[in-house]
Amino acid sequence: MSNWVWRGLRSGVRTTGYPSAPEAAAGVSPGFPLGATMEPGPAAALVAACPTGALSERAGRVEVDPRRCVHCYRCARAAGGPLPWSNDYERAGVPDGGQGAPLGAAFGRSLHIVVVDAGDCGACLHEVKQLASPYYNLHRLGFFFTPTPRHADVLVVVGPVADQMRVALEKTYAAMPDPKRVVAVGTCALSGGVFGPSYFSGAGAAGVVPVDVEVPGQPPPPLAILHGLLVAVGRKAPARLAAPAEGAGAS
Amino acid sequence: MTSAELVQAALRQWPGEVTCRVDDATATTELRCAPARAADVCGQLAGPWSYAFAGLVVEEQDAAFQLRYVLYGEAPGWVHVLVEAPLAEASVPTITPVVHAADWHEREAEDHFGLAFEGHPRLGDFVLHDDAWEEGVQPMRRRFRRRITMADRRPNVDWRPRRIVEAPGAFVMPLGPVFAGPTEAVHLQLETVGEDVIRAFPRLFYKYRGIEKLAEGRTRDDALLLAERFAATTAFAHALAYSRAAEAIGGVEAPERAQVLRVFLAELERLRHHVGAIAGICESTGLAVAASQAGILEEDLLRVSGALAGHRYLFGLAVPGGLATDLSDEACGDALLRCQATLRELDRLWGMLRLSSGFVDRLEEVGFISERDAREHALVGPVARASGIARDLRAVQPYGAYRRLAFFPVREQEGDGYARMRVLFAEARQAVRLLEQALAALEPGPVTVAVPARSGAALGAVEAPRGAAFHWLRLDDDGKVRRYRIMPPSFANWHGFHLAVEDFAFQDLPIILATLDLSVAENDR
Amino acid sequence: MTATALIGVFATVCAAGIVLSLILPSRYAPKLVAWAGSLASLALMALGAGALLQAQPLTIPLWSVPAVGRILLTADPVAGVFLLVTGLVFLAGSTYAASGLGAVLAGYSGRVYAVLYLGLEAAVGWVLLAGDVFSFLVAWEIMSILSYLLVTFEHREEDRPRAAYVMLAASEAGALAAALGLLLLAVSAGSTAFADLRAAGAGLGAGLRLATFLLTFFGFGVKAGLVPVNVWLKDAYRAAPGPFVPILAGATLNLGLYGIFRVNADLAPATSVAPGLVAVGVGTVSALVGILYATTENDLKALLAHSSIENAGIVTAAMGAGFVFTAAGAPVPAAIAFVVALYHGVNHALYKTLLFIGADTVAGRAGTRDLDRLGGLIRRMPWTAAAMLAGVLSIAALPPFNGFVSEWLTLQTFLRSAELPSLGVKVAFALCGAGLALTAALAVTCFAKLFAMGFLGHARSPEAESATEGSGSALAPMALLAAACLALGVLPTYVIGALDHAVAPLARASAADALVPPFFAGAAGHAALPPAFVSDFHALGAQVGQQVLPGPGLVLLHRGGASNPVVFAAAPSYLVLVLLGLLGLAFLLTRLAPRRAVARRPAWDGGIRRLLPEMTYTATGFSNPVRVIFDAIFQPTTVEDTRATVNEHFRTAIRREVEAVHIVDRLVLIPGRRAAFGAARALARLHHGKLNAYMAYALLSLLALLAVSTLL
Repeated sequence: MSNWVWRGLRSGVRTTGYPSAPEAAAGVSPGFPLGATMEPGPAAALVAACPTGALSERAGRVEVDPRRCVHCYRCARAAGGPLPWSNDYERAGVPDGGQGAPLGAAFGRSLHIVVVDAGDCGACLHEVKQLASPYYNLHRLGFFFTPTPRHADVLVVVGPVADQMRVALEKTYAAMPDPKRVVAVGTCALSGGVFGPSYFSGAGAAGVVPVDVEVPGQPPPPLAILHGLLVAVGRKAPARLAAPAEGAGAS
Repeated sequence: MTSAELVQAALRQWPGEVTCRVDDATATTELRCAPARAADVCGQLAGPWSYAFAGLVVEEQDAAFQLRYVLYGEAPGWVHVLVEAPLAEASVPTITPVVHAADWHEREAEDHFGLAFEGHPRLGDFVLHDDAWEEGVQPMRRRFRRRITMADRRPNVDWRPRRIVEAPGAFVMPLGPVFAGPTEAVHLQLETVGEDVIRAFPRLFYKYRGIEKLAEGRTRDDALLLAERFAATTAFAHALAYSRAAEAIGGVEAPERAQVLRVFLAELERLRHHVGAIAGICESTGLAVAASQAGILEEDLLRVSGALAGHRYLFGLAVPGGLATDLSDEACGDALLRCQATLRELDRLWGMLRLSSGFVDRLEEVGFISERDAREHALVGPVARASGIARDLRAVQPYGAYRRLAFFPVREQEGDGYARMRVLFAEARQAVRLLEQALAALEPGPVTVAVPARSGAALGAVEAPRGAAFHWLRLDDDGKVRRYRIMPPSFANWHGFHLAVEDFAFQDLPIILATLDLSVAENDR
Repeated sequence: MTATALIGVFATVCAAGIVLSLILPSRYAPKLVAWAGSLASLALMALGAGALLQAQPLTIPLWSVPAVGRILLTADPVAGVFLLVTGLVFLAGSTYAASGLGAVLAGYSGRVYAVLYLGLEAAVGWVLLAGDVFSFLVAWEIMSILSYLLVTFEHREEDRPRAAYVMLAASEAGALAAALGLLLLAVSAGSTAFADLRAAGAGLGAGLRLATFLLTFFGFGVKAGLVPVNVWLKDAYRAAPGPFVPILAGATLNLGLYGIFRVNADLAPATSVAPGLVAVGVGTVSALVGILYATTENDLKALLAHSSIENAGIVTAAMGAGFVFTAAGAPVPAAIAFVVALYHGVNHALYKTLLFIGADTVAGRAGTRDLDRLGGLIRRMPWTAAAMLAGVLSIAALPPFNGFVSEWLTLQTFLRSAELPSLGVKVAFALCGAGLALTAALAVTCFAKLFAMGFLGHARSPEAESATEGSGSALAPMALLAAACLALGVLPTYVIGALDHAVAPLARASAADALVPPFFAGAAGHAALPPAFVSDFHALGAQVGQQVLPGPGLVLLHRGGASNPVVFAAAPSYLVLVLLGLLGLAFLLTRLAPRRAVARRPAWDGGIRRLLPEMTYTATGFSNPVRVIFDAIFQPTTVEDTRATVNEHFRTAIRREVEAVHIVDRLVLIPGRRAAFGAARALARLHHGKLNAYMAYALLSLLALLAVSTLL
């Protein structure tokens, strides 16, 4: 058994410096498309190519709503005029008319999180699980996964809220004591992604529980989820999410 | 047997009752018969003639339902048994007495289409839960309207779990759908008298999103997004299966370089997935350092994938006709170097785990699935290979560049959790060897070819990390999806979940689940 | 009122009750039993209290029986303790009978029940008051037979007569053994009066003393329910009518313990450690076996029956410790051990009666005794639940109730074995002490199961869902007993003082000074305490209440002897005050804290749509781990392990059933039965009908007699 201790010590420290220092390793984030100025022709083609209506054109500029982006890369690879791409990961924002203020200093370094899988494809949940791995180690920030909503301060929702999980999600939210916040993680939880809204699946968590922090991405990398949690407790400033695309195509 | 031999044998066995047609392009033999004969035909194929049951595809045509039972043998080639049932009657005899693996396929078809399978003792309350939906919804019928409001539903509020165990003091222990940590949503009903699980029933489809229905009417390329994203931890494999089905319909093959790169990316995904499964097993037994070590390796591989392809789960790469974007040889070489370094660490981890008797004790002889049970339930993937069924689509029905690479399926005999873990380690090693072979075979060339949007139907089958995945695609004249049926490996393996879990203690349940590595999202679709 | 007058009242009330029940119609029987029984028991309690507190034991000579001696009635402090608690038990039981008898008398004669019941009460009183061997044995027999008749009262039900027969057979065998033992003592003393036996007790030979001990120990042990002679207990308790079982458990069981105590602590005290060790060993084994079977039992009545065996074992073990200390010449520890034994016996009578009355109320109102079918009763029967909670906390030995004090003292007494010189005795005490500690842990499990499965959670059957609260005549005795349990737990120092009054003359040392040192400055003996000692305990609050409380202080001590100077202190009285103080403080804080919205939500169930009763733990599931761990004792055999399938893979039913034979039956009853039948068969071979052989037998017997008489 002492072998394991030795092995662990020899592995050294792999934990990322985030949030004190930015993380620059390759492959930590899929990034997002950025808005760009464009001719009307290619702009219209791009807007039409986006399968979830995340792109919109306004005054000669193509805008991106990251809450609908499903990382299909069509706009990044479009022949006529690809959109530029950024590799950042601090994308968590607070929705307009969003719920309460961040949780406050008391929870800043002692936060308990309950996770509900409301129909997620597995990738967002997998990224949430990676938070406990040595690279991200959410414990060092004072964040913990708790087994029961009775002890939880934050509810993390992933998935578009499949119809048969509605009751479970509502019950979990109701079982949490005040003060509580909801962090919706992933494009599906923000807009339904490619799945919803439909008869079997919703248009995101906002239809079932009040959402306080939105973390876009499909899936958002662990660093983005960390950013979302830090926004929820007020240790980091939220990013500005684009307004929903006007006249966005149905999905 | 070859298609010719099969046709001869079928005509001999059922003279006048079966009509055969062979499609050489897809190496498929179609046997048409009456509904009453389906059980005989499928039973003979799956039994004495040793074909494996892949799944059931039900399509609603103008006047009848067409049922397609898909089977495959030990040599390249597919068998489809076709049966028609008039829409008005909507009833066929069940084949479960002879092919038990069709059990859940038939239940799903009954919930989706309202097709009654006579003689099946367990229809109902499967995909659409009786306490959330009313009877007769039949969402996959063409006449189904998608916008009935919730308020109009009349679920059965008196629903109770069906109990089998008759023992004094038995009760049903409910687990989930919301679990203690970040775990997928499934409801487990464990009937027990206190210490051991006497009977385990998984109540799935809490995450049902209606993927098959959503795909209908979408363009071929938009439906690809669904294929990629319904089970995103193995996104590339499913997108590949869909793409291959679309290519088969269009009658084209992806270019050489694309096929080799597809192998490269598929094996990278397999390596990453297996390391994640190993991390899950270490975590379930509470061996924290090993779990952390495996977690480090998994994140390394996710970063390798992200650096190579732009997306950590390889979204947006597999498209009908090849790959959406080319990957440079240098980038692939870098990725391979890092994978080889990861493999060395993985081997060291294996060496230490093997000698941790406390860890091995929790896996050995725990969660046992016999070869006979695995065969009769048509389990697939590492789970089946650990129970002695050496069936791997990359060897049995090779596709793409696998036809040109050296590959032998891994096989273990014991069928317990330890055997399944050994299979995972061996396949991870094998994945790196395949990466090396693929890189060596990489030649310059185009990575995509146009695929004409014609009507037609085809089956795309790949060996996903969790097992054999089958995607059946039918396109209309305007290139839109008419029917999309997914038969994922987790659907087959959840059917065998109770075999591993029953008659073991509660404390073993999380460990057995970790060794089975079942995905709920993949099953629920 | 003088003792004589009280005895007269007692006898008159019982007799009048019997006569009235014969005259009045059957439907008055419950009320008659209640009134007559309660009045008689009040007389008994007054008698007991008086006897306990008097300095001189009272002796009343009655008639003289030829060739046997005088019939005497004595009321000494030991009998006083038992009279007091038996009276309280009968009071509670009789009051409960007013409502509880209704179900029993549906098919049977109330007159008969009333006669038997009041007769039993009189007989029990007589056993405790008997002052000579003859009347003791006569009263014992009457008590045994009346108990048997009451147990078999519902004789048309299946299995009841058989259970009662086994009880009768065991009772008679025990009575025979006890009688032999007492007669041995009487012969060596030359008289039947207990006073004469006591005087002659000092001069008995070692062999006679041992024989007497074994005969009376196992003889009275039958009634007390000790392993291995308790083969009758579990079935008889199950068969007895519900309102009668509290009496069985609270009164007649104590008579067995009384018999053992009377003979071996009073009349013929031990001079060697062997008898004491036997008692300690038998007590520990009984305690373990009893609680193991109680923990895995789902029938309320059977669970409590097994638990009675456990408690009887604990009392016996404490008595055995006292015998060992007496024989080893350590009178103070012996006195402490006897006080503890009496304390636990009293406590057990109180909380067991409470629990049995509660169990019968539940059975009557919720329609079932099976814990696997009960549940949620705390909402439907809140007062019963509260009283049962008091009983459960007492029997699980949790403060501030009485069980805690007597269990704590029992374990402390076993630790005193450090003062004994012999290594073997120390080892035996250590092992038995560990066994008793294990018993205490299992008892908590068992009664947590009883309360949780019976009263908390969801109702598991329609009958439990529609249960109603018990009537006043059921709640009143339960409340009384619960209050008594609390009182005996909160004021142990006074109880010990009272019990010491009974024990001190027997052990020739005072336990009170050792257990409750006179901290109060004005108390007698205070000057003898070292000042450092007093000041140390000043900090513990030993002087609190000095001006207000009469009698000794409120701190309970267990001091080792000179060779073992450790002190263990407990202050249940202060504990309860602190508890109340903290509860009050918490209440006050919730009132004073800023108003906060309180959300009421259902219990967290993992997010399923509806939590159903079949999804909650059953009693079997709760105790399954104990069953699995102690598999070697239970030795279950699988009766059925089948599965029914359709098409081989669709399971329609999985059937599992196990059965287990009780360990005492396996080791004692069944081999005994086999031996008896074997001997009978062997003897039957002599009965082959040949006249010649019979004449030869006659001749042989005659020759044998002649030979014996010549030799003597």
